[in-house]
Amino acid sequence: MTMSSPEPLLALTNVNTFYGQAQVHFGLSITVGRGHIVCLLGGNASGKSTTMKIILGLVKPRSGEVTFDGASLIGLTTPQIVRRGIASVPEARRLFADMSVRENILMGAFVRSDREAIAQDLDKMLTLFPKLGQRLSQRAGSLSGGEQQMVAMARALMSRPRMIVMDEPTMGLSPLYVDRVLELIRTINQEGVSVFMVEQNASLALEIAHEAYVLQTGKIVLSGSARTLKDDPRVRDAYLGGSEAA
Amino acid sequence: MASWLDYTINGLIVGNVYALVAVGLALIFGVSRLINFAQGSIYLVGAYIGWVAVVQLHTPLPITIIFVAVVAALVGLIIERFGLRPLQNSVRIAPLLATIGISFVLDQLVMLTFSPNPRALPSQLPDVRFQLGGGTIGPLDLLIAGVGISSALSLFVFLRYSKLGWAVRAASQDRDAAMQMGVDVNRVNQAVFGIAAALGGVSGLLVGMYYNQIDTAMSLQATLKGVVAEVVGGAGNVPGAVVGSLLLGLVESYGVAVFGTSYRNLFAFLLLVVVLVLRPNGLFASARQAPPEPLTGTFIAPSRPVRIPRWALAVAVAAFAVLPLLPVSFYMLQTLINAWLLGMLALSLTLVAGTIGQVSLGHAALLAIGAYTSALLSLTLAVPVGLAIIAGGLMSAALGTILISPSFRLRGHYVSIATLAIGEIVSLVILNWESVTRGPIGISGIPPLSLFGYDLISPNSVYWFSFAVMVALALLQARLLSSHLGRSFRAIRDDDIAARAYGLSLNRYKSLAFIFGGFAAGVSGGIAAHLYSYINHETFNTQQSILALTVVILGGLGNVVGAVVGAVALVGLPEIFRIAAEYRILIYGIVLLLLVRFRPQGLLGTI
Ligand SMILES: Nc1ncnc2c1ncn2[C@@H]1O[C@H](COP(=O)(O)OP(=O)(O)OP(=O)(O)O)[C@@H](O)[C@H]1O
Ligand SMILES: [Mg+2]
Repeated sequence: MTMSSPEPLLALTNVNTFYGQAQVHFGLSITVGRGHIVCLLGGNASGKSTTMKIILGLVKPRSGEVTFDGASLIGLTTPQIVRRGIASVPEARRLFADMSVRENILMGAFVRSDREAIAQDLDKMLTLFPKLGQRLSQRAGSLSGGEQQMVAMARALMSRPRMIVMDEPTMGLSPLYVDRVLELIRTINQEGVSVFMVEQNASLALEIAHEAYVLQTGKIVLSGSARTLKDDPRVRDAYLGGSEAA
Repeated sequence: MASWLDYTINGLIVGNVYALVAVGLALIFGVSRLINFAQGSIYLVGAYIGWVAVVQLHTPLPITIIFVAVVAALVGLIIERFGLRPLQNSVRIAPLLATIGISFVLDQLVMLTFSPNPRALPSQLPDVRFQLGGGTIGPLDLLIAGVGISSALSLFVFLRYSKLGWAVRAASQDRDAAMQMGVDVNRVNQAVFGIAAALGGVSGLLVGMYYNQIDTAMSLQATLKGVVAEVVGGAGNVPGAVVGSLLLGLVESYGVAVFGTSYRNLFAFLLLVVVLVLRPNGLFASARQAPPEPLTGTFIAPSRPVRIPRWALAVAVAAFAVLPLLPVSFYMLQTLINAWLLGMLALSLTLVAGTIGQVSLGHAALLAIGAYTSALLSLTLAVPVGLAIIAGGLMSAALGTILISPSFRLRGHYVSIATLAIGEIVSLVILNWESVTRGPIGISGIPPLSLFGYDLISPNSVYWFSFAVMVALALLQARLLSSHLGRSFRAIRDDDIAARAYGLSLNRYKSLAFIFGGFAAGVSGGIAAHLYSYINHETFNTQQSILALTVVILGGLGNVVGAVVGAVALVGLPEIFRIAAEYRILIYGIVLLLLVRFRPQGLLGTI
């Protein structure tokens, strides 16, 4: 039963990536449909974060094509790509530790200049992430891991992106926060933002994803709708393999 | 008799001047993790632009300041765009070396344009002094304080309230994350270099007015002081740089009050070394702050060295050995003698900087220690010259290693700062320890080279002697590098964390490298002392340290043959092309820049 998926927003086609001599991606192809949550699963060092960096232009592929909304991203700088409408929640959050929480969130709106709308969006973030309200003038580096994750997500949303890429958003969080983060991702998605997320925890990710890909040492070994993958024994294998390597 | 209050005022005023330099260094370090050794050159340019404005264009003071700030900012933008941006993806040492090359070029251009003679820079302010408590204060003091405070305030407002200021702060905390917010890091770099240069240029102008005199030696001093203040405050920490500068100004001023003027710089560098050793992240660094240097990653360009067959090397050595028997000019022999002496220094530096990865900017200090030891032993204790030179080498090995050992735990750019400071300290101790070193008068009447009772006076004998010593040192070093020890050295350079994990004791290996390198440099200094017959505390200066570094980069870091080839090329080629002496430093600077940009592995490749 092929579901008619919408025209892809993001497409990686046949991407090969190298760090020096070492090849990290072998003919990687991934598509993210409009309005979808797509998840990239894989164990340690399988090349997940590098995939994010390719999308964001932080690492250049040796060959292959990356398109966003039909236009190629190859050759664009990271800020240019961000201005096209891709926001990111990087691995380990990467907040600006010495800036306040408010400044961190507002940095997310760096590409915008509509002051009033930015102020409104900041208020909106505080309703979406109510805990951050009391922390606004605190140093971001002094927050707990879970709070930092909230700031990182608020920061990403502030650019009013069409797509958010997230690198292991649940890593190191307590179960309570994990649920909260997954719920927020769903909310964000329901407001029309496409999501591409990298995860090691397959069972969590498949709860909320529409489609998923399984990456093993730089190659996609499995892909399909989250529903079918959840029951696939091979996913369980890959998933277990991933956690064993950790 | 000046009062304590006077010394305090003076310290704070000088501290303000340092702050203008240091804040720029901190901004640049924050964004690009780079110590900008060209900052002092911009300060120099600022002083001379100010001189042009005041003396030739007769501009009023506010216009002078704006004019200097704008021209200096332009110079900063040019440096960033053409000197540093092309190096973004190079090895980590490349931008550091480039700023050194740029500073050579700028300093020499100023010197060639305005002559090296000092010039008077009138202050454009009435020369009156007001009583203040027990001290006095003049309009210029107030101007400097005013410029310092208003710059700090403007910078604060810029960083806190402007969009570009936010970008600067974000980029200095996490460059990649800032890019992911849409920050264009090139624009941030540009802004930071422009601001740093404007502040640095104005600082040079104010200092020129303060001392009523400008000269081209200001450049290196300003860089050094700025670096000291910045590191004391914590590299990359802008408010820290201001506090570090005021602290440095006060320490110097009180030091001068107690011990005299010639001790001024000694205090600055001792402060630096103490801070580097005890709190390498500065006085105000919070414990959770990440170390400013990345811990791994290639510092030195990796490459496949050019293999030269043994017979070719043997032929070359034989050819140079018989050279004096051919009808060559006295001048040529002298040039080559200089090349052999520089070659020994380069052997030492290529081992320390290339093989073990400790990029030393104070290597001339090892020459000085060897030279003074050998000269004093032969002069005052009548030790035979041959033995005295060996003693000089041993002294350099021992003292050099002891002096440098506090910096063994530092990495990357910090090693360069520490060695630069230690080099300056050695020269300042020589200047101030009059009972032994004869202080500023220097040592004259040093006996000529001699071996087993025979004086080596003829150019041929001096040539053979220095060539033989250099070849012997080179062979020894080549043996060393092909041994197990050499492999351990390189392992430490390439990844000191892994090397430690394999159980290598870093301190022991670094000491061994400095002992061997110190010996070679000390011997070179000793021979030089007996050749020159007169030395003083300035004979072996930072310029020579940088020249040696250029030589080893030209040859290929770590490459023994390369060190000698580099020495011959850098000493010989200007002679062959009969380039006037005042253009040479300029050429060295340009060579360094071109190498870093186009051939960081040098002529023969790094090993
Ligand atoms: N900057 C780099 N230089 C060289 N090699 C790198 C670099 N970054 C990553 N690698 C290597 O590329 C491979 C893939 O790394 P990547 O970070 O994409 O993995 P990952 O799937 O995100 O792993 P993890 O689950 O641990 O985050 C790894 O072997 C890693 O060591
Ligand atoms: Mg990863």
